[in-house]
Amino acid sequence: MNKENINSDPGFANASDARLSALLRESRVSPALPPRFQEGVWRRIEEATAPGKSTGGITWLDALAALVLRPRFALATATVLMVAGALLGVREGNQMVKQDAQARYLAAVAPHSLR
Amino acid sequence: MNRSLVILLGALVLCAALLGGSYAVSRRVCQNCMSKSASDLDWLQQEFHLSDAELARIQKLHEGYLPKCAEMCAKIAAKKSELETALGGTTNVNPVAQQKLAEFAALRAQCQAQMLQHFTEVSQTMPPEQGRRYLAEMQRLTLGFHEQTEQSMSGSTGHEHHH
Repeated sequence: MNKENINSDPGFANASDARLSALLRESRVSPALPPRFQEGVWRRIEEATAPGKSTGGITWLDALAALVLRPRFALATATVLMVAGALLGVREGNQMVKQDAQARYLAAVAPHSLR
Repeated sequence: MNRSLVILLGALVLCAALLGGSYAVSRRVCQNCMSKSASDLDWLQQEFHLSDAELARIQKLHEGYLPKCAEMCAKIAAKKSELETALGGTTNVNPVAQQKLAEFAALRAQCQAQMLQHFTEVSQTMPPEQGRRYLAEMQRLTLGFHEQTEQSMSGSTGHEHHH
């Protein structure tokens, strides 16, 4: 009977909540902030919002290095380079063989004293 | 040094090595494969797209020409030796040296005429278009050398001919 009265009285409930909140606030221990905490926070905010500053230069290098290290990219690049090198080598080799053959024919039919 | 930079530099070196290595190996393999049949007439067949029959005819002409060429070269070498003897130890061009010089030049001219005659005969055994190209190429390679020398000398010395 008495219990029902207490619970049904809104004024009593509000007063009790306020007291409880005050007690909880007092019991919470707020740790001391480290020295120059505020300055550090502002510095980190500035670094995060400023694009292309000191960290920006490293970012694209990192991205490129990550790309290079991808196995599929590395394999494709190696294949392209080897094929290109082989084609250039064959072209150059053909040219040299042709020049040698021409020089051999000339040496046979037109000795150097005649040229 | 930055880790990413090291990776990129390493990748660049590897790329250069791959490109250079494959280039060198393929060039060497190509040279070895193609220079196995080292005949004097290989160039003619490749450059002027000759058939086997045309090459056989040229081979015959070539074999007939080589002894004549060797004989003329021996005569030129002997005349050159005589000319050097005539010029040796003198400070001026004496009549004997002049005579030897004229004989040397005549022999060379005779040899060049024989060589050009051979080129003409070879060109006539080829298809007309290839024959013209061969003759022009051989004249450029054997006679053009002197033209270049004369042009470079007249240009470098500043000689001018006024007519």
